[in-house]
Amino acid sequence: MSAPAPVIAMRGIAVAYRTGPAWRRTLVPAVDGVDLDVEAGETVGLVGESGSGKTTLGRVALGLIRPTRGSFLFEGAAFDPRVRRQGALAVVFQHPEWALNPRLRCVTSIGEPLRIQGQGDSAERARKVQALLAEVGLDPALAQRYPGELSGGQRQRMAIARALITRPRFIVFDEAVSALDVSVQSQILNLILGLQQQHRFAALFISHDLAATRYVAHRIAVMRSGRFVEVAPARKFYERPDHAYSQALYASIA
Amino acid sequence: MTPVVDIRDLVVSYATDDGVTRAVDGVCLSIARGESVGIVGESGSGKSTLGMAIGRLLAPNATLEAGDIVFDGRSVGRCDAAELRALRRHSLGFVFQNPMSALDPTMRIGRQVALAIGGEPEAAAICALLERVGLDDAPSVARRFPHELSGGMAQRVVIGLAIARRPALLIADEPTASLDASIQGLILDLLLALCRDTGTSLVILSHDLRMVARRCRRVAVMYGGRVVEAGDSREVFAAPAHPYTRALIRAAAGNEGPGGRLEPIAGVPPVLRERASSCAFAPRCADAQARCFAARPAEVAAGGRVVACHFAAGAVIAPAPAAGGRA
Repeated sequence: MSAPAPVIAMRGIAVAYRTGPAWRRTLVPAVDGVDLDVEAGETVGLVGESGSGKTTLGRVALGLIRPTRGSFLFEGAAFDPRVRRQGALAVVFQHPEWALNPRLRCVTSIGEPLRIQGQGDSAERARKVQALLAEVGLDPALAQRYPGELSGGQRQRMAIARALITRPRFIVFDEAVSALDVSVQSQILNLILGLQQQHRFAALFISHDLAATRYVAHRIAVMRSGRFVEVAPARKFYERPDHAYSQALYASIA
Repeated sequence: MTPVVDIRDLVVSYATDDGVTRAVDGVCLSIARGESVGIVGESGSGKSTLGMAIGRLLAPNATLEAGDIVFDGRSVGRCDAAELRALRRHSLGFVFQNPMSALDPTMRIGRQVALAIGGEPEAAAICALLERVGLDDAPSVARRFPHELSGGMAQRVVIGLAIARRPALLIADEPTASLDASIQGLILDLLLALCRDTGTSLVILSHDLRMVARRCRRVAVMYGGRVVEAGDSREVFAAPAHPYTRALIRAAAGNEGPGGRLEPIAGVPPVLRERASSCAFAPRCADAQARCFAARPAEVAAGGRVVACHFAAGAVIAPAPAAGGRA
């Protein structure tokens, strides 16, 4: 084999949600025939308005929902939900509060994925957590705090640390910087860039904010009504993208 | 013409468990009739406190320590309860970040709109207001409960409630932060268009300088409870005079070139305990000198711009010819 298989390889993915009462089921297409590859060390940005299917596609990539149609290979093998993939995939959400249990100290929350995998004893896990906190730019002493005792930016760094602790090969960032202040936002974006260079994980950066997405992503897929209307290198979104809808997004930040 | 609001050397502080926190540390700002002003700053810069102080809607642990807000010639600080109620009801409109928390979840939209209009308005008046804020199919919206609306629709309703009585001033605190990007622009444009039509002055509080600079005529940048730079939006954005304004622009995604690097502002905003005796931004400022740590910079007006920085004089004068050319 020459080139390694992409971490994520999707072909013709379609997802339809069932709605309505049992006697009048209707299918609402959320994702409608999408091809997407994400290589190791690459970030693909996914932009589009709400309801365009970007979060659904992210959930397919994490194996949380099965596509109605299409094939999905993870590291070259068909994504079989029965295979244990603990620690290979991770997700960072818009609100770090969703990732951190408010009643657990951060050191416990961040070490939890390791504990579930049965790795090390608690002292060793605490050491790993502290090393990782330094990596995400936090004072290791903050590990003993509760999430409520941290600022929004610190909490998002904690959530990223929790996503990284198992050294995943693929991370989904779903609106990960949308709730943050301008200056904190750029800190987190730089953190994501730095961590990716170091750890070479593949990433899907889902956002409605084209300005933030083109900064962290290598390629950008613009999504509308469940389809990609344009997939192009991020550089292209600094000039003038091709599709009319991409141009409208571009105009909103230019 | 007298301004709608004249904020004079306002100081607001909060009593907390850790002692007194000074959120607004001497703000002077006046807003003319029909004008749109964007107040920009990081969280903790005091912008929300300033916005709330205009309607004296501050939390119980807040005190107006010094200065005053003069609204249409009346002192808000010295209003009694009845005057304050009248002021909030007739002259002020507020739009907050989360529309769902501004609407009563147990009441149909039509009923809430009726309460905002006052009296017993006819169904046609309720629908007319909903249509003005861009909600098609107003009769159906009026029958719904807030949870049956999308975030954008709910924020349109909230804007409708805020302008129902044609207030003299509308204060919008991060009005689009919880909304989808594709409709953020639409909602802001709606706010501005409505205010233009009714002659209402508009204050938008936001952390997004670019977004505000594109839409508001004037911008005031807040830091450490003070207005550190204020002036014509385009001029401030094109040629920022205060180091903090420059840092804000450099930090925001969207201003960098391809392959460029964003420069976050190092450090965190200060928490003031008392009147700042130096420049509050000095510890994070790349150009800080000994004087910045020793003396509080005064607000200096030059070329239609107000800047509170010891070293801003040259920077303010520089873009003046361009500004004159356009005016």
